[in-house]
Amino acid sequence: MTKFEIGDRVTVKDATSMFHTRTQAFIRGHTGVVVEHRPAWVIPEDEAWGRVDDGRTEPFYVVRFQQTDLWPRYTGYEIDTLETECSERWLEPAGEADT
Amino acid sequence: MNSPAEFEAQANRVAGYGPLHHEEMDSPYYLPNSAFDALRHVLHDVGGQPALPVAYEEKVEEDWEMSTYVTCECLGWRGVWNSEERRRAENDLGATLYFGLPYYARWITVAAKTLINKGLITPDELSAKIDEVRARTAGGPTAGGRS
Repeated sequence: MTKFEIGDRVTVKDATSMFHTRTQAFIRGHTGVVVEHRPAWVIPEDEAWGRVDDGRTEPFYVVRFQQTDLWPRYTGYEIDTLETECSERWLEPAGEADT
Repeated sequence: MNSPAEFEAQANRVAGYGPLHHEEMDSPYYLPNSAFDALRHVLHDVGGQPALPVAYEEKVEEDWEMSTYVTCECLGWRGVWNSEERRRAENDLGATLYFGLPYYARWITVAAKTLINKGLITPDELSAKIDEVRARTAGGPTAGGRS
């Protein structure tokens, strides 16, 4: 059961991370598009402390961002993209104003 | 092996790894939130971090690197840890060791620390084994065969 579908625009939460995370700082607060589903797995914030059996399991999503959105001084092509994976808790539906 | 002069040389060597320009950071009395935010940044999240160019090198895998990989995977199969625990343990080494060690040296260092953390080996057992192997291979890396 996934909250987001392929093609959905999602914004990465700009939440505080303490001690461990896989959600990169450079995507926080940025909006991208879901391009793939990944199998549900224990979230890194639990798995990193060995909680494989009792850790919280969530769907993971591959989210695609425009490089020019992420890096103000990006010198590559306009069409260049970056894809990374986020667990569901890090994503929320993008608002109208989010590009 | 550890004369005052050698100790000082080693301490200075570590200090010398710092960038040319850096803020003084020696257990400060006061720390602004902005500094704390920078310090708690998770080390493996290197995207967008300032860095110097790195020379690209076609390097073959060395025996110790494959041995380290296999050892760490076996520890996973035996339920000692998982890959995410390893990554966290690498981050927890701190910036000096994280960026100072070769990739697989980070792995084997945190494998040893995790085994100690979980009470599966003791630091003195590890030290004794290192001394044993060091004595056996004193004539060179292949003098005593592989441990």
